[in-house]
Amino acid sequence: MPAKVAFPLAGIALLAAVVVATTVFIGGDRRLLLTGRTTDAHHQLETSCETCHGEAAFADAAAAREALNRSCRNCHEDALDAAADSHPRSKFRNPRMAAYREKLDARLCTSCHVEHRPEITRAGGVTVAMDFCVACHSEGEQDVRSNRPSHAGLAFDTCASAGCHNFHDNRALYEDFLVERADGPWLASAPVHALSALAGRLPQPADAALSRGDAVAPDPALVNPAHLDRWAASGHATAGVNCADCHAATVGEAASPAAIETHWDDAPLPTVCADCHRRQARSFVLGRHGMRGHPGIAKPRDPRPALERVGLGDLPEGVVNWLSDPSQPESVTVAEARLPMRAEAARRSPNCTACHGPHAVDTRRAAVEACAECHDDAHTRAYFGSPHHERWQAELAGTAPAGAGVSCATCHMAKSERRGVVTTNHNQNDNLRPNEKMIRPVCLDCHGLRFSLDALADPALIERNFRGPPEAQVRSIDWAARRPIDPSHGG
Amino acid sequence: MTELILTEELLLLLDDQEGKSLPVQRHSFECAMAGAVLLDLAFADRIDTDPETLLVIDDTPTGNPLLDRVLSRIAVLESPMNTQAWIRLLEDDVDDIRDEAQAALVAAGIVARKEERVLGVLRAVRYPAAGAGLVGDIKRRLQDVLADDIPDPRDQALLSLVDACGVLGDLFPERNLQDDPRLAILRRIDLIGREVAGTIAETQRSIIQAAQAEASRLGRFRLALAAAASAAVAVTLFAPRIPLPNRYGQGLAERLWLDGTWQEWSGYLLLLLSLAGLAVALIVKRRLAFRVARSLQWRLAHFAIGVGCVLVLFGHTGFRLGANLNAVLMGCYLVVLASGGLSEVALRILSRLQVVGLGTPGKRRRALVRLHVLALCPLPALLAIHILTVYLY
Repeated sequence: MPAKVAFPLAGIALLAAVVVATTVFIGGDRRLLLTGRTTDAHHQLETSCETCHGEAAFADAAAAREALNRSCRNCHEDALDAAADSHPRSKFRNPRMAAYREKLDARLCTSCHVEHRPEITRAGGVTVAMDFCVACHSEGEQDVRSNRPSHAGLAFDTCASAGCHNFHDNRALYEDFLVERADGPWLASAPVHALSALAGRLPQPADAALSRGDAVAPDPALVNPAHLDRWAASGHATAGVNCADCHAATVGEAASPAAIETHWDDAPLPTVCADCHRRQARSFVLGRHGMRGHPGIAKPRDPRPALERVGLGDLPEGVVNWLSDPSQPESVTVAEARLPMRAEAARRSPNCTACHGPHAVDTRRAAVEACAECHDDAHTRAYFGSPHHERWQAELAGTAPAGAGVSCATCHMAKSERRGVVTTNHNQNDNLRPNEKMIRPVCLDCHGLRFSLDALADPALIERNFRGPPEAQVRSIDWAARRPIDPSHGG
Repeated sequence: MTELILTEELLLLLDDQEGKSLPVQRHSFECAMAGAVLLDLAFADRIDTDPETLLVIDDTPTGNPLLDRVLSRIAVLESPMNTQAWIRLLEDDVDDIRDEAQAALVAAGIVARKEERVLGVLRAVRYPAAGAGLVGDIKRRLQDVLADDIPDPRDQALLSLVDACGVLGDLFPERNLQDDPRLAILRRIDLIGREVAGTIAETQRSIIQAAQAEASRLGRFRLALAAAASAAVAVTLFAPRIPLPNRYGQGLAERLWLDGTWQEWSGYLLLLLSLAGLAVALIVKRRLAFRVARSLQWRLAHFAIGVGCVLVLFGHTGFRLGANLNAVLMGCYLVVLASGGLSEVALRILSRLQVVGLGTPGKRRRALVRLHVLALCPLPALLAIHILTVYLY
């Protein structure tokens, strides 16, 4: 054997092992260690392993599992609470559920959602076979096929795929709800999305309104008339938000012109927007557009403490920087997206100004055009010219009432109302998976439940952006309507 | 300085400067050492040979314990035997002859005795030369033999022994000895040297016959396993994956490829088998434990372990290549297994085929064995990374 080849080869491998150990214990890009493609959305966090793998090095299996599941809950627990989770952890902590836990430990997210296993990753990041309901609902008092005659011949892989049940969120699928809404028309006589209409009607504080001449900014910033015009026509001007409130946020409008000029920032960060739009900012970091800003995301590791521990604290700054975790953009770029996107938008990031524009802060543009500037999938392309789009154009033209139009944001960024204040959920993924989550806050304002269920169970129709009637038929409403009422059963 | 006997000079030539053995086959080494002792006795005028017999002409001790022990052994035998028979007889004593000659070289300060541990467990002894001068002198003498018209008989005899061991090319890489007419003449001159070469050739023939006989018993089994192993690797690379279970509770497949505990155990089993395979390879390469079992049996064990690795690898990965560094690890592992399996196939099948343009069968097999070892080199580091990341993340 030619040692002159074998030894260098072994040496290179050994060197690689040292490099890997360095990236693991000190700092550096660890994506080469990924054991498989990360699921969509989580791929944004690939360089910050500690976001999910928060356990101590070489922790025992139970501690590592618990730490991993705690990481899941850090980001997803609020959504599960809001969804009135049908299978909450608390249910399975009960000792009487021990037999079920043996089959599928539903206390752990990782029982059904395992990362880096693309071959078995299904919709919703589910990595357990889709007939998993069979684990608990095929025998004893939970045997649905004997409890419900309508389910007698059904296969367990149809529980979730037929539009009838979800593991976590069944708010639009509860039996009582189905029965109550069984007979609604497919489309309301005067279809209007109530919260969109309400948002348009909310009074603006006219007494605080500013005009073009009220703009307070250093002279160089005032030379662009287009910026001034857009601002003057914006909600910001109407609400009395002046230039310095954003561009010199640290001193504010009331400060002297000199102080404003000193602290002037041509491109304020999204954190400035979040100072006022707190609810929107909180929900923004829960979605794919803003998740890199979520407080639960691990920050890049500082290699210095680890280097000091091994007696290398005096390394030159350049070497320390080289050993640091790779820096990532504050928010995801279009190029990183896994959905079909417009090539020309590759460098854009979905931050506040990308959708709303920095000066016009136009919610109508943000509701449709801003989405289509980046997204290039069939559903997005089919929207233009669809019935929903036509109604949106009619609303913009004033020929249809406020709330009659259906924009991208109407469905994907559901609104909520509290004490007369309408807030748009900026987590545009919140009601996407499973898509029945969209029914109650959005679809039912205009459509009947039966039509909504059928439409959302028809992938081809979704791709056509709801042009035409659904071909899928979810039978759960009929079954629920025919089932004798059992007061002891929650549905 | 005491003059070295031919046996000692041969030993010096068959090791490199660091004391590592040149690639000499075991039976060639045994014949050459036995022949060297006989030649030493002949040059000391204690024995004489003709094509039919080897006779003791003077049984007075030579003063060299090693030669005297062999001489007394020859002298006590009443019915004379020919040279080839003596070479065969002395083959069994070669380990003692070598040890005695090496001890004499150490005592003379010509070589040093160095003990080392392979993988920290197996003991290996090397005898590196204390200086390059003496070996250089011997090599120069041999070069003179190759160049001069009238060779010194002793040097010519030494040359014939080295030639019989098949390492003349290793000692003189700068010379093209393939079709050297001078070497052809030298090979015919010395009787004992000729007998050594003849014995080696005959031994090789008998080994081939034994191998062929064995091929009829074990060979087909090994060939079938080798073909299966190679096919399994080909399947991994080219066939569609066996789908992971798509039904809840699908027993073995679900456990094998999705259950962390099973993955852990299959991983450790694979590691254990790999280490065992490596240890057996080292035993064969370094001739560390031939007293326990013959080389052939160790090779068979190595091969069986390789087949075991293929099976456990399937259990561990389902022959999925994985991603990133795992894919590199899997790639190296597959090359190791495939080249190992194919070298067996090459030995059994390709050796019978003289395929034009693909080199000799031996070369093809050697290339596969080299690939086998080369792909093995990065494995420890890659395995360490794999295990580290499994436990850290």
